Amino acid sequence: MATEESILDTCRRRGISRRRFMEFCGTMAATLALPEAYTQTIAKALGQQRKPVMVWLEFQDCAGNTESMLRSPHPTIEDIVLETLSLEYHETIMAGYGKHAEAALKRVVDEEKGKYLVVVEGAIPTADDGVYCTIGGRTALDIAREVCGGAAATIAVGACAWDGGLVRSNPNPTGAVGLHEAVPGIKIVNLPGCPHNPVNTAAVLVHYLTFGVLPALDPENRPLFAYGQLIHDQCERRAHYDAGRYVQAWGDEGHRKGWCLFKMGCKGPEANYNCPTVRWNNSTSWPVKAGHGCIACASSRFWDTKSPFYERLPHPAGFGVDVTAGEIGWTVVAGVAAATAAHAVGHVVRDHFHPGEDEVAAKEAPKTEKPTTEVH
Amino acid sequence: MAAIVRPAPPKKHAAVGEEHLVPVYVWELPVRLSHWGIVAAVTVLTWTGLYMNHPFLIFPGPRQWTMGTVRFIHELAGFELIGALMVRIYWFFAGNHWARWRQFLPLTQRQRRSLKAMFRYYTFQQRKPFEQIGHNTLAGLTYIVVYFLIACECITGLVLFATVEGSPTLRFFVGWIPRVIDIQWIRMIHFLFLFFLMAFFIHHVYSAVLVAMTERNAEMESIFSGYKFVDDETIDEELKIASLEPQQLFSKRKIHRTRDWDR
Ligand code: HEM
Ligand code: SF4
Repeated sequence: MATEESILDTCRRRGISRRRFMEFCGTMAATLALPEAYTQTIAKALGQQRKPVMVWLEFQDCAGNTESMLRSPHPTIEDIVLETLSLEYHETIMAGYGKHAEAALKRVVDEEKGKYLVVVEGAIPTADDGVYCTIGGRTALDIAREVCGGAAATIAVGACAWDGGLVRSNPNPTGAVGLHEAVPGIKIVNLPGCPHNPVNTAAVLVHYLTFGVLPALDPENRPLFAYGQLIHDQCERRAHYDAGRYVQAWGDEGHRKGWCLFKMGCKGPEANYNCPTVRWNNSTSWPVKAGHGCIACASSRFWDTKSPFYERLPHPAGFGVDVTAGEIGWTVVAGVAAATAAHAVGHVVRDHFHPGEDEVAAKEAPKTEKPTTEVH
Repeated sequence: MAAIVRPAPPKKHAAVGEEHLVPVYVWELPVRLSHWGIVAAVTVLTWTGLYMNHPFLIFPGPRQWTMGTVRFIHELAGFELIGALMVRIYWFFAGNHWARWRQFLPLTQRQRRSLKAMFRYYTFQQRKPFEQIGHNTLAGLTYIVVYFLIACECITGLVLFATVEGSPTLRFFVGWIPRVIDIQWIRMIHFLFLFFLMAFFIHHVYSAVLVAMTERNAEMESIFSGYKFVDDETIDEELKIASLEPQQLFSKRKIHRTRDWDR
């Protein structure tokens, strides 16, 4: 079962030209923010390196990350990198099932210990001993501990595998968590996003095959090449933001002219991702280019923290779901202004009806002198 | 200091009797500077912040840089605010008797009496505000809240600044915060506290005018000149409570002593 083929071999077998293969290597170098010369290094490595064994585990997920990888108009080399590597075990695309499938997984874990790669998709439930996701009678937590524990490295793809994603969003009935919380201490690369971008995932693997190490990671184990910059700083609508040209309603003049989507709730200013440069569907487009604000799908707990998706800021907790921070703020200001005005009126009224000795004196005495300023 | 500009003591009217009012140098220069620095910064930050949250003006023409400019002004004013706040915090520990942190808390019995009296004053149960040289204690407590709000604005502002400006030093100090409290909640707090400061501003100006009108003690002028005009009785009491020497009360600076202390 150990794969003797290299990625280049697979490409050849699939009828992919050397020209397209080199294009792919160039894209990978660019995605990894490497100088152009590394295209050759990558091409050489992908021509020589035997493909490591890889397994793909799905837990509490929608298979969206698998879909993101498979649903391209024609098989791209990214797909081939991912697909052919995941040869040994992938619940959605493998032919085997039942006992045989589980046996294949067990064989990898036993025979390739410390050498194989794992891709994990989906959250892991922890409530009630993890009964909310079981495969072949074992809980997701149990499988993840064993399979990821013995791997050379684990790649958590998608929001759910990173921090629980949609499954973990409030009220999180299954006690779902992301992989690095469920199985702490494993060597992990997080590739959040809803779904992951297969180009980034391929780039992580290519980096691993080329240099033998994982790419540089941030404190949350996300590769810096993909999560090191704000969307807002890479966005093609940014000039409109800085100028002060904003879409005010869907389909208005500004929307037709491609102005900034800030007022429509775009979360680009708080989202780190390389979406604007890598894009989707063979680099055709990405949400903001298509005219919809970013929802920050690659940032932490985005279902809870980045919603409402069509408003700039979240609503303060404890005031009911519809009440915005602005409404609370203006109410407080109006309340204080009203109370102040009422107090002033109260003062005048009191002094009129119940004059104190001061007021009596003031009436009788000539007008008091105003303080003057003198210089010494 | 060559010339000290100070208002002449206002005269109280005849019915209360000719009280002897003494000018006391209460607000030292750092207090006044930081006060006006904070006022200017918060005013600018409030307007630019409101625009940054909800750009209420649209500039369709070419070659505009409106949001860019507004953001730049906001960031400049933000650093001015941080500077002013730091001066004030330093002066909590290095300033004169009335600038120190102890003035803001109901620590002494007199301060607690002040608290009660001021509450009664604002609820119309008492005609006169409590006679105190520095802050009255109710105001002191309010200022603690306000300094806390401003400090929160500065910290959340720096966190937001760290997301646009990748300075490693800044990230070291505040970069961990968004990993604990999500950046959207930081933004929400940064936005919401704007209104609390605005509400405070309304109340603050009103109560300063109110007390100045009732007391006629040059309260409003004091934050420009530094001097307040205080009657003998209050001075005596404050000296006793704080167990201060008269020299301390009047700070190290040269001031106009119109009172014979050895009387
Ligand atoms: C009284 C003090 C302040 C007020 C009222 C204020 C108000 C605001 C408001 C309303 C926003 C827009 C938030 C949003 O909707 O996204 C904002 C953003 C921001 N503020 Fe402040 N702010 C204050 C102090 C500061 C300070 C001290 C700094 C530090 C430099 C600062 C830096 C920023 C930054 C960097 C942003 C985000 C800009 C962006 O992402 O476009 N602010 N502020
Ligand atoms: S569309 Fe979104 S990401 Fe792009 S400039 Fe506007 S706010 Fe920033």
